[in-house]
Amino acid sequence: MTDGARKRILIVDDAALVRTYYRSALEARGFEVEEALNGLEGLDKILLQSFDLAIVDINMPQMDGFTFLRALRSKELPVSAIPVLVTSTEAGPQDMAAARSAGANYYLVKPIKQEALAEYAAIFCGAHR
Amino acid sequence: MADPSPLTSDEFSRLAEFLYRRTGMVFTEAKRYYVERRISERMSATSSRSFTDYFAHLRGEERREVEELINAFTVNETYFYREDHQLTCLTTDLLDERVRAKRPGDTIRIWSAPCSTGEEPYSIAIWLLENWKDVDAYDIEIVGSDIDTDVLEAAAEGIFRKRALMRLSPELIARYFYELDDERWRILDDLRQSVRFSRVNLIDTKQTRPQGRFDVIFCRNVLIYFDDESRRIAAENLYDNLLPGGFICLGHTESMSRISPLFEVCRYSGAIVYRKPLELRA
Repeated sequence: MTDGARKRILIVDDAALVRTYYRSALEARGFEVEEALNGLEGLDKILLQSFDLAIVDINMPQMDGFTFLRALRSKELPVSAIPVLVTSTEAGPQDMAAARSAGANYYLVKPIKQEALAEYAAIFCGAHR
Repeated sequence: MADPSPLTSDEFSRLAEFLYRRTGMVFTEAKRYYVERRISERMSATSSRSFTDYFAHLRGEERREVEELINAFTVNETYFYREDHQLTCLTTDLLDERVRAKRPGDTIRIWSAPCSTGEEPYSIAIWLLENWKDVDAYDIEIVGSDIDTDVLEAAAEGIFRKRALMRLSPELIARYFYELDDERWRILDDLRQSVRFSRVNLIDTKQTRPQGRFDVIFCRNVLIYFDDESRRIAAENLYDNLLPGGFICLGHTESMSRISPLFEVCRYSGAIVYRKPLELRA
């Protein structure tokens, strides 16, 4: 087993190809992966199941990443403190600031190399040794 | 296999007419050997003793046999990563060129027509995941179209046999498929969702136009089956379905230059592709 053994990660992204791309990066590192197609579905899953990390896109239909983060952080539940990595094609400082103030732990600009994603995931879900 | 059974010229033209009405594909005497081989396959599969027997069977209630026959003439040799030099060209040249005028987050549209049972559009998806560094930075839309609704249904199912996967490494198969049983693999649900399938007859503008405009079209090994007139109409439709500067990839034995003057020829190290000019010529 690798250093990501048994850690569970939720990918929230509306693009099926992107989910596949991130999933294969994370599974190769030994993580268990679950997916959601938008913020709303992500919120449902995160409240019902237990995860070590969420990787969340910004531009999504139904509920975007900012709304997802604010909704998650505003709940006074243990799960509200789960680390969240934001992934976005927007590279502007104002986008990064907005994500941080919504409660993101870290901001990655797409495109993201698979190895880099797995590395950040390991760091943020405490699987890194 | 036994020698193909020779068809009389009357039998040949009745069959060619039948296929033309069903598919738009034209089979002339020049393709006699090709036609006879496939007919002889179908005749032995249906235990027909003569062409007359077979043709009667075909024109009777045997809808399944019509499909089998069309399949025998259309879906020959389809598998994942077919003509992968063009896929290489897609990720080394074509997409970089296309994204030059785009910004991250923009849409890239790729059309596989005809897509048969899905090997080509799914190959494109897998190839992009494996070989294009920007795969998560653009909103990639892959559309697969075919004239045959049965193959589209199969494509959407995403179940494949060993033969279709023969060009994929065991690592790729493990990453993007799950095994259903000893004989069959199913492509991951996310990959199935990454391709949209639609029925399109390439020579019917009413059907091609609603597909919208694409950055890259793969139209391999179908124009060769059309007559000059159908081929010209298909080429014009495909031209309409390209964004300015968009590319079209044909099968390696095909040449757009002989079909239509609308396109520019682009020679890349791995493949020759055709391009809709950026600016309309006067």
